[in-house]
Amino acid sequence: MSRPTWSDPSLMRQLLLWSLGALVLVWACFVFLAYRTGVEEADELTDGHLASVAVLLLGVHGLPALGQRVEPLRLRQEGLKNHDYQQSLSVLVWDAQGGLRWRSGNAPTLAFDATEGYATVLAGEVPLAWRSFSQWNREHTQKVAVMLHLDERDALANDIAGQMIEPGLWLLPVVSLALGLAISRGLRPLMELSSAVAALDVQNADSLVARHALREFDSVVESINTLLVRQQQALARERRLASEIAHELRTPLTSIVLQTQALEAALDAKTQRAALAHIRADTLRAGHVLDQLLALARSSRGGAKSGWEQVDLARLARAVAADYAQAAWERSDVIEVEAEASLAMNGQPVLLEIALRNLVENALRHTPFGTRIVIQCGRKQEADARALWVQVCDDGKREGVSAGRPVADGLHLGHEIVARVAAEHKAQFHRASCAPPFTTCYRIDFAQSPENPAG
Amino acid sequence: MRILVVEDDAGIAEGLAANLRQRGYAVDLCESVEGGWSALCRERFDALILDLGLVDGDGAQLLQRLRALPLSQGSAKAPLPDSALPVLIITARDEVEQRIAGLDTGADDYLVKPFDFNELDARLRALLRRSAGRAQPMVRHGDIVLDPAARTVCRADRLVDISPREFAILLVLLEARGRVLSRAQLEERLYSWNAAVESNAIEVHIHHLRRKLGATLIQTMRGVGYFIPKDEAR
Repeated sequence: MSRPTWSDPSLMRQLLLWSLGALVLVWACFVFLAYRTGVEEADELTDGHLASVAVLLLGVHGLPALGQRVEPLRLRQEGLKNHDYQQSLSVLVWDAQGGLRWRSGNAPTLAFDATEGYATVLAGEVPLAWRSFSQWNREHTQKVAVMLHLDERDALANDIAGQMIEPGLWLLPVVSLALGLAISRGLRPLMELSSAVAALDVQNADSLVARHALREFDSVVESINTLLVRQQQALARERRLASEIAHELRTPLTSIVLQTQALEAALDAKTQRAALAHIRADTLRAGHVLDQLLALARSSRGGAKSGWEQVDLARLARAVAADYAQAAWERSDVIEVEAEASLAMNGQPVLLEIALRNLVENALRHTPFGTRIVIQCGRKQEADARALWVQVCDDGKREGVSAGRPVADGLHLGHEIVARVAAEHKAQFHRASCAPPFTTCYRIDFAQSPENPAG
Repeated sequence: MRILVVEDDAGIAEGLAANLRQRGYAVDLCESVEGGWSALCRERFDALILDLGLVDGDGAQLLQRLRALPLSQGSAKAPLPDSALPVLIITARDEVEQRIAGLDTGADDYLVKPFDFNELDARLRALLRRSAGRAQPMVRHGDIVLDPAARTVCRADRLVDISPREFAILLVLLEARGRVLSRAQLEERLYSWNAAVESNAIEVHIHHLRRKLGATLIQTMRGVGYFIPKDEAR
């Protein structure tokens, strides 16, 4: 496995990026709302302040008396600022006739007939925006207008908003770091599971054990272990098959080598004839093994998509039995077929014939002379009456084959081939129980009319 | 030298037997674990050639049973079977793990089929040599040099014409130097079960050996048997 690089997709990085993205988005919303709130609060405060000052001035008795026209007084405010939030308010006081009686601050003169209440006005030679509040006293003899430059109000708003945003600015990197650590810690079980999967050795019959028994991992671990078991079984089966092939092929070859080496020496005529007969038999045997291997290759070839057609299983069984009549007769064996007149199924006739031949050959090869061999096939009596079965039974004693020994477990190459053909037909190949006088039955149980994988 | 071959394939078993007999070994054949075990319990063999895949089980079972026995003292009268019997496994199982398992079970050597008979013979000789406690491939006794590989005998650097059976008797006696071997023991080591043995065959071969290698080489202990005294005893 190649070493991961930074450019490779990473769950950790994705989670971190998404989390940080979400965090920044939330933070940006917070900043926006904080700014809006700051501005609104600053407006409210300013307006309240303007109104308070106006009311305060209307209650002050030191203002010039009514009807007394004076030159408006302008207070100088420079050098009097004592607080950051101290605002430069401007005040205008009129009498009932509109005569400006008193003024403070640097705001330009507001029109006397301006509407009572709050207003944002442009005033001055160079028009500037001012926020104003105008109000008459209760007797309607004096009118007061309090004004504040809008820039000053906005500065206050920005300051309030800034104060609200500031904690977020230094919290963001801290939260990001904490988030990264939390994600890393949270993903640790997943990383460990990933390492455990990477360290699995299929050859060594390992199984995956999650160090952290998190319930979210249960199904993953179970699935991986199931796959692992299947893989290990497949490997074991391949190993058994290789071992079986090696045995089946090397045995006749060894015999041929030894017999030819014996022939090199001066043997008597009888021994020579025996050696030559052995060589001939072993050559044929090796050829037969090669045929089996070819059959095996055929049965494994890409699922053997072609060759599916309607097969008469009973007819096939009779044809195979007829082919082995001579071989059985030479061994004083008896071959019989017990089947209905016709048993049609969808299958691959070539592979099915290979499977049947192997079962019959095994019965001929591994039983004593005089054995009765029966090929039986029929329909299942259970619910699925359309499903067929075929079995080859014999009454010969087989040495070295215990009843419980699984089929295709290193027993014979032929059985391995039958198992593969059965798998190709979604059928089950197994050693079946048999009624006396039979001692051994190998059976293929077909599923209900196996479908042609080619469609 | 008497070899037991436990092999279920008739072609291999008979091919091995024919080749071994040509090299002067006495060979007995068995085709099953049980057959092999009963042969080992009945007769004394110098080596066992064992196939693993047998009709009634795994040859390793036979080997395990053999090695599980208490070690005999190597005397001619030691109980049968001899747990230290040299064993050469011949099998089609060629994976490293299988070889290791075979050797760990107690095999002395492991040969994968197919093999050249000459290689099997060389390995068998090495086993027999180690079993006899010899490191050298040649057997030397005085001015006599016996070469088991070439199956030749030289006396005072001159090749002596010797028959396979005479060679086998000489080798057995030389391997057992200082010990008396009875005629029955010699026959047991030199002839297989079904070999037709003349009643005076051993005497005839001994007589020929004395004629070719010197009358004093093989000593007779009347009523007991024959022996070759050790060099240093001379």
